[in-house]
Amino acid sequence: MNPQLLPDLHRFLPEMAITAALLLVVIVDISFERMRRSATFLVTVLGLVTAFALTLPLYWAPAGTLFYGMIAVDRVAVFFKGFLILSSFLVLLAAPGSRELAQRQLGEFYTLLLGATLGMMLLASSVDMLMVFLSLEMVSVSSYVMVGYLRNDRQSNEAALKYFLFGAVSTGAMLYGITLLFGLTGTTKMALIRDVLARGAGSGDNSLLLLVSTALILAGFGFKTAAVPFHFWCPDVYTGAPTPVTAFLSVAPKAAGFAALLRFFFTGMSETRGLFSQWSTFSSLNWTLLILILSIITMTLGNLAALRQDNMKRMLAYSSIAHAGYIFMGAVVLNSEGIQAVLIYLITYLFMNLGAFLVVIEVFNQTGSFDLKDYRGLWRRSPFLTISMTVFMLSLMGIPPCAGFFGKFFLFAAAVNHGLAWFAVVGALNSVVAVYYYARVIKTMIFEGGEDESRILVPIASQALIWIMILPTAGLAIFWEYIQRLTSESLRFFMGS
Amino acid sequence: MIGLDHYLVISAALFSLGILGVLTRKNAVNVLMGIELILNSANLNLVAFSRFSAGNLNGQIFAVFVIVIAAAEAAVALAIVLSMYRLLKSVNLDQADTLKG
Amino acid sequence: MDKMILSQVVFYLFAAMTIIGACVVVFARSLIYSAFGLLFAFFGMAALYVFLGADFLAAAQLVIYVGGILILLLFGVMLTHKLYDLNLRTETYQFFPSLLVALAVFLTLLGVMMKTTWHNPGPLPQDPTTAEIGVLFMKDYILPFEIASIFLLVALIGAAMIVRRRA
Repeated sequence: MNPQLLPDLHRFLPEMAITAALLLVVIVDISFERMRRSATFLVTVLGLVTAFALTLPLYWAPAGTLFYGMIAVDRVAVFFKGFLILSSFLVLLAAPGSRELAQRQLGEFYTLLLGATLGMMLLASSVDMLMVFLSLEMVSVSSYVMVGYLRNDRQSNEAALKYFLFGAVSTGAMLYGITLLFGLTGTTKMALIRDVLARGAGSGDNSLLLLVSTALILAGFGFKTAAVPFHFWCPDVYTGAPTPVTAFLSVAPKAAGFAALLRFFFTGMSETRGLFSQWSTFSSLNWTLLILILSIITMTLGNLAALRQDNMKRMLAYSSIAHAGYIFMGAVVLNSEGIQAVLIYLITYLFMNLGAFLVVIEVFNQTGSFDLKDYRGLWRRSPFLTISMTVFMLSLMGIPPCAGFFGKFFLFAAAVNHGLAWFAVVGALNSVVAVYYYARVIKTMIFEGGEDESRILVPIASQALIWIMILPTAGLAIFWEYIQRLTSESLRFFMGS
Repeated sequence: MIGLDHYLVISAALFSLGILGVLTRKNAVNVLMGIELILNSANLNLVAFSRFSAGNLNGQIFAVFVIVIAAAEAAVALAIVLSMYRLLKSVNLDQADTLKG
Repeated sequence: MDKMILSQVVFYLFAAMTIIGACVVVFARSLIYSAFGLLFAFFGMAALYVFLGADFLAAAQLVIYVGGILILLLFGVMLTHKLYDLNLRTETYQFFPSLLVALAVFLTLLGVMMKTTWHNPGPLPQDPTTAEIGVLFMKDYILPFEIASIFLLVALIGAAMIVRRRA
């Protein structure tokens, strides 16, 4: 056996746990007859918990690359691994409780979820373009099926088809861009790409090619993070997919896409000037400007479109597009402060967004509707749901002391410190615009009267899950120092710095 | 002498034709064929660059993985298309319009 | 000398087959014609791989693309159609802008690619590649290799789940 593989496997344990769980779920699903639902659920839960437990020690492991330079194990990767496992875990807990998925066998769903998680973990740690493409496709294909899981539902099918068509074209374009970069540099490893580019391969006549190939690669990342102009699939897919899947899509693949994008641009495409200070790009290519424009258009379009929506899922879809625009701010500000802001924002975003979707799931379970007008008078029907939704809406708005405020604060501060104060102002203005549609939800729930006055009883399990979301959302202020330290420590060993 | 440029022209043509196919065709299976053209064009790039720009087999290996991914994607895509056909009795993309906004 | 000219002629023939096949895919009226156009495109690609010295890849292309994916696409065509159903090119409105976009893409790519000086470490020897690809799969590319197998499993399960009859 190759002597390098064995120590590599020690640092690959979380992914191996997920794989083992995946295979076990398949076996359990076809073995048990009566206990199938609970058995597969249990295996998946155990798998994710084990993987999370195995991820923690990696935080203190020495940084390096695994498997001949395919994936990196540094603190940022460990952070994202933990983040992604946590998001999949929370979605997993929400899935069996939703009315949409109640009629269906869920064994395959868990398999797909685990497959997507594995892909995302690899995506967040890939440092070779082949690995990036492979893991991106793994996440995407699993997602296509999850979106179309309700075979008999027309909207679910349509959403899956649209998602697939758009996704396959975007990733195909990304692949073409990767091949151009391969031709330019002779390699697919990000670190080596950067070396070749630093020696001037991307200058002069070649800078145009570098621009084209980077733009194409950005198509794939833009698709995964639902940035404009690659966002067209987002509202339809979010609306048609089963809501637990929507919740999953809005957080996890987006985060993984951002992780890969950050890695690509920082490890592959920029020269670093000193640890932790300024990371600049190859001067012949001003794609910082490109991402800046992307960020502004994305957040603006997302917020403006959300104003007109009456369907909760569609509104949250555009809201998540807008939030992706904010997160891109961290990618524009090319330094450790920017990336730290992205990490903080993602943590807050995880809880507040999942929380909002959980409430949407509960309301659908009881009323069968996703329309805003059916949220009228929710205050009288279920104070619990109303208050929790209010907390999530306030956080999404960015109102202190909710978690969302901290995310935005760090992002805007990073922009200001980088000399882009006007950029932060644009972001702040966008947040103000966003207040309208988030506040509209609160107003509808509390101040409007509904026709149906029956009480809504929320099952204990769902209540507990929503509490898990509320606590960090409302109480992050208490722990913000810890979060700040966690994220800045995570940057310490970012490969490429 | 057949050089790198010849292959690049062919791959650019295939890529553009694939894009055209995706943009114009209304039948879902036809769009899938366009997507396959795009992936093939990228593969041609990879193999050509492997010979002329990389001096090793990395591009060819990448191309093998792309073929694998394309196969898996085609399988899933056709499954979704078939499922939609069962529901709507048609795979014309004009019919996919219930999710509007 | 003659051999070189002959090989060039054969190259252009296969290149033409590939591109014409692709055109048929995009412009043909009937879906079956498109599928057969794709067949010729795939065959042409395999021949081009041979010209590039990628013998294993050419065989893989034939086996997987022609023997697998194309058959799958044909099944897809058959199962989602009444055979006499034609796909007419009625969307002339949409067609022209898309043609412009595709042309723009093509010209941009061509222009950019011709001006570029690509990385050039020297030519690759024309050895049979299969053995070395096999070794690389077990060494440098072992992780993608294993992940691809999991990926195929997940895709298989997903596709089967969507299509099967009973709930």
